[in-house]
Amino acid sequence: MSSRDLLSFRLNGHPVDVPCPSPRVLLDLLREDLRLTGTKRGCDLGTCGCCTVLVDGRPTLSCLTLARLVDGRSVETIEGVSPPRGLNPVQAAFVAHGATQCGFCTPGFVVTATALLRSNPRPSRAEIERAISGNLCRCTGYLKIIEAIESAARTEG
Amino acid sequence: MHLDPFELHRPTTVDEVVRLATELAGRFDYLAGGTDLLPNYKMHLNAKPHLVALEDVGELRGHSETRLGAMERLADLEADRAFGRVHPGLSDAIGEVATPLVRSSGTVGGNLLVDTRCFFFNQSYFWRSSLGFCLKADGDRCHVVPQAERCYATFSGDLAPALLVLDAEVEVAGPTGRRRLPLGALYDPAGDGIRRTRLAPGDLLVAVHLPPGAPGRRARYKKLRVRPSYDFPELGVAVAGAWDSDRVRSLRLAVGGVETLPRRFDDLTDPLVGAPLTPETVNRLADEVQRRVRPVHNTFLPPDYRRRMVGVYVRRALAEAREGSAG
Ligand SMILES: Cc1cc2nc3c(=O)[nH]c(=O)nc-3n(C[C@H](O)[C@H](O)[C@H](O)COP(=O)(O)OP(=O)(O)OC[C@H]3O[C@@H](n4cnc5c(N)ncnc54)[C@H](O)[C@@H]3O)c2cc1C
Ligand code: SF4
Ligand code: FES
Ligand code: FES
Repeated sequence: MSSRDLLSFRLNGHPVDVPCPSPRVLLDLLREDLRLTGTKRGCDLGTCGCCTVLVDGRPTLSCLTLARLVDGRSVETIEGVSPPRGLNPVQAAFVAHGATQCGFCTPGFVVTATALLRSNPRPSRAEIERAISGNLCRCTGYLKIIEAIESAARTEG
Repeated sequence: MHLDPFELHRPTTVDEVVRLATELAGRFDYLAGGTDLLPNYKMHLNAKPHLVALEDVGELRGHSETRLGAMERLADLEADRAFGRVHPGLSDAIGEVATPLVRSSGTVGGNLLVDTRCFFFNQSYFWRSSLGFCLKADGDRCHVVPQAERCYATFSGDLAPALLVLDAEVEVAGPTGRRRLPLGALYDPAGDGIRRTRLAPGDLLVAVHLPPGAPGRRARYKKLRVRPSYDFPELGVAVAGAWDSDRVRSLRLAVGGVETLPRRFDDLTDPLVGAPLTPETVNRLADEVQRRVRPVHNTFLPPDYRRRMVGVYVRRALAEAREGSAG
């Protein structure tokens, strides 16, 4: 197997073929090779959740995922979670509730919360707090983020 | 942070894995969820030229009340509420590993074989090069116990203690075939802290098996960590027991997160079988476990505090297990 084999997967609904050496992690492939910079690099070590994407619908830390292992799978990033125009309900609720300040953590929170609401459209407050406990925010103090997700669940459900 | 070059292998059967592993012995690591291995690789800690990804090996997946595939992801166990009800202690432990995002990829096998941790080891290459490397990676001395010729890095997996008290066994596939051994025997006290298991080159962890009596056992896992939604254990105490009204029918206790290996204290709990558990016996047990554990100063909290908290957590875990459901 050559380490430069072509990697084929679905990215935000579209098929992608891209050369990818084995040591490339999904985060670097997305940001540097595919220029999708919505997914953020925070810690690069699995602690902050800024790099969260969905792999076959499952929240996944792209900084700890070898890109070659998404071969044949479907990846959704913050760019794909957002509709082509406007905002999805989670994003709209983040704006309405002032749940974003510097915004660096926001893509990770939105992706995590979107996955939560898809699998559990009416989460309790405790379930929301638990679901986002792997996403760090250094600005907001989390309260506004939790309120935004609660309100997105109300408007969506 | 970039990973050093390696060749990635993607076998699909256990036989294929074992063949590859035998051929590459010493020059490869298995990649399960990668949530422990890849951070270490990014910090250039003992990276190898080959990675054998276990992702496509179907036999390693899946779970039931009595079998956990090595590649079963922690989030999938957590999502199974019925499993959580019959395994309350294991469910405590799974829910306290790292964060939901890490558990989404992290697996059972990876958790049992998670690398040991030390304040002087889990650091960037630059950080380590300034102080001088240590025995566990690239160096020839220990910064924690300077006169030692072994490593004291801390075993920081949460599942091992919770599985030890359920008398779990592990199924291992190797060049000579399959074998089963008690989970406790997977960890080797004769190791030097760097080699810590009895797995031989070519060995693969296939599954964890629980005895038929394990589901429904009154069990609990109590973990001390600095940030409750995030951190590795500063200590973890697991208990599992059965009671006939007040009398102890069976009792197991295991501690992780304080030494290089997780361990069980059967010589302290076996004599308690057949008698009621009084506040005095509970206190004596907690004091003795606390007296025996030997944490060193390589995690966030000071070792003396962790040692004293082991006693506190033994009391709490026992009290909660006795109140718990099922008998
Ligand atoms: C931010 C953060 C916090 C964390 N906190 C915790 C915590 O609180 N508690 C905790 O227990 N862990 C914690 N971890 C560590 C890790 O996420 C978990 O232990 C996880 O379960 C490891 O599983 P994995 O599949 O990702 O393992 P990997 O990283 O893929 O593998 C770990 C090790 O096991 C070996 N291995 C894996 N599967 C097999 C197999 N089937 N046969 C033989 N060898 C195998 C690998 O070669 C490697 O050496 C944390 C990690 C991060 C990034
Ligand atoms: S205990 Fe000593 S040898 Fe082991 S990782 Fe820490 S400093 Fe290195
Ligand atoms: S960048 Fe991936 S978890 Fe922080
Ligand atoms: S808004 Fe700044 S880190 Fe969350």
